[in-house]
Amino acid sequence: MSAKIKILERKGSSLYERLYLFEVFKGMAVTFRHFITNFLDNSKLLVRHYPEVKPEIPVRWRGRHRLTTHEDGTMKCVACYMCQTNCPAKCIMIEAGERTDGRSEKMPVRFDIDLLECIYCGYCVEACPMEAIRMDTGIYSVIGEERQPFVKGLDELLATKGAFTEEEYKKGGA
Amino acid sequence: MAEKIKLFVNGQEVEVESGKNLVDAIGAVGIEIPHLCYHPALGADGNCRMCLVGIEDGRPPLVPACKTRAVEGMKVQLDTEKIKKIQHDVMEFELVNHPVDCPVCDQAGECKLQDYYMQYDGQKSRMTVPQVRKAKHLDFGCGVVHDQERCILCARCVRFTRMITKTGELGIVNRTDYARVTIFPGRPLANRYALNVVDICPVGAMTSSDFRFKQRAWFLTSSKGICHGCSKGCNIFIDHNREKYKDDVIYRFRPRLNEQVNGYFICDEGRLTYKLENEQRLTQAMLNGKATDFGTAVEGIRRALSQARKPLFVVSPNCSLEEMRAIQQLAASQNATLCGYSDGYIKQGDGDDYLIQDDKSANRAGFDLLGIDSSQSGFEAAAAEADLLVSFQNDLTRTLGTEACGQLKERMNLISIGSYDDALSQLASISLPVASYSEKSGTIVNADRILQRFAVAVVKNAPPVSLIQAVAQLGGEITSLESAWEDLTASVAVLNKVDFAQIPEQGLALTDSEVSNVAA
Repeated sequence: MSAKIKILERKGSSLYERLYLFEVFKGMAVTFRHFITNFLDNSKLLVRHYPEVKPEIPVRWRGRHRLTTHEDGTMKCVACYMCQTNCPAKCIMIEAGERTDGRSEKMPVRFDIDLLECIYCGYCVEACPMEAIRMDTGIYSVIGEERQPFVKGLDELLATKGAFTEEEYKKGGA
Repeated sequence: MAEKIKLFVNGQEVEVESGKNLVDAIGAVGIEIPHLCYHPALGADGNCRMCLVGIEDGRPPLVPACKTRAVEGMKVQLDTEKIKKIQHDVMEFELVNHPVDCPVCDQAGECKLQDYYMQYDGQKSRMTVPQVRKAKHLDFGCGVVHDQERCILCARCVRFTRMITKTGELGIVNRTDYARVTIFPGRPLANRYALNVVDICPVGAMTSSDFRFKQRAWFLTSSKGICHGCSKGCNIFIDHNREKYKDDVIYRFRPRLNEQVNGYFICDEGRLTYKLENEQRLTQAMLNGKATDFGTAVEGIRRALSQARKPLFVVSPNCSLEEMRAIQQLAASQNATLCGYSDGYIKQGDGDDYLIQDDKSANRAGFDLLGIDSSQSGFEAAAAEADLLVSFQNDLTRTLGTEACGQLKERMNLISIGSYDDALSQLASISLPVASYSEKSGTIVNADRILQRFAVAVVKNAPPVSLIQAVAQLGGEITSLESAWEDLTASVAVLNKVDFAQIPEQGLALTDSEVSNVAA
């Protein structure tokens, strides 16, 4: 089996090109043409005006995690450690305790996700048998000046709401 | 050696030991017959029907393997469609009312029901009627928590309390869907081996309140160890785990099979001694009540030894043979009196005729082997003329009481080399932290004179120095286990045929007769 071979002519070897200056001015002309047209009318720019204009997040997009709750507000998580076991970055740290709300026997007393270590692969969501952890918050930018705020605890994960309705999420096939 | 017989499994000829049942005999050559209710220590009950196998040309053609003795020329069928269907159906039957709450079940990962479901069943539940609900989270006493919904009624726990502890607290009441394991009203489990039911339960019906929700089974590393809770020297698995950003911590002890020593079980007290390995440990060298580094403390002890007129070394009956030997040598070179006085480690009348011993130290037999005097009179005579007392892991306050130790301190300099932050190390002018038994290797002799070796199980983030190395730094000649072994085989008559590097896993029975030593 012979591969298709396409021979390309090497450019830049003629005297005109090797003189260099003509090509530089041609390039500068292109740059200035773009500059002046955009300066006079920027409505046709192909750049998004972030952060004033936010990007549209699709349902399957993996944003910051959250912990979901049942309709009565109790958390779905039962501290089975499946997400922690499946996490390739080892960024989830759980401590389990006795559950008293009558839902099950076990719940997390500590559930920390270190977002500096997280690689946003979504394996935790796949592993969860209770649909308790999701990455549907649409949050893509987490900001902090120290390391500590990047470790998201149980309360913060539970307080965050999903960015989509249940139907949209289910249809997204996540 | 037991007699060998030949039989056929799935048409393939295998050689097995005679006199055993099919589960054990064929299991020993690596072919597993699934079983739930059978346990080698509790005998065959035959109630789970999971081990039904076909016998070609046999009458009857189907037998429970746990109740059938392996016979020469037997043709056992495990892979016929009929047997597979039986296994599949039995599993489906076991799971009819099972809550399948594996996410919250501590047994998950070491559960026979999970394993067999993956291996033999693997189908979704066909149940259309609601499941039978039973009681959950029942406190059975002795730290045993029972979940009736998860129970498959194999009756292992019931047989354990009847056959092993002979206390019979547990029983199965009612029949069919209403059958459940329970205690008599107001009479919880009350025996000193109760937590073994957690181990023998093939599913998650029996859980330990101590271990409950602490760790998932698959995170734990199981290292072989020997319990130092008493002089029986039961073989254990030390289950430990190093969590992220944390230290290597022991989460539980589990019994490890050793027919020669403890069989399949350990006592509850020994099982819970793992806590001592995690808590109240001496981690910081102290010099006159102030924290200092290890080297400075060693230097302080060396100085005290050189200045002392008559030092007294008190060695612990928990030290390994190698450590005792190293200390013995150091004592000889320093002109110190060596004593093993530790009567406080003996709890008179506490032992029973099964596993628990009066003597709560692991290697007192080592004193006899090495000729270390552990009598009270010997200690008192030595203490009368000593001006320096160095304790090697021997918490004298257990024997003498804190007050008497305080009086000793007025008469002489007190130095403690130990693993725990005990009363003596707080009294001592210098205390030096060394490795505990889960963090070191060594050899010990149990109450029945069985020589057993154990290896390092737990490696801390900052591993403590072993006692042998500490003694070597103080000027001892023995610097490693190997040099201790050479010395021990050369100088102790009973040990002169023992190859320390090759001590079998089951331990080596020490006898004074030459013949049995050679045979071992």
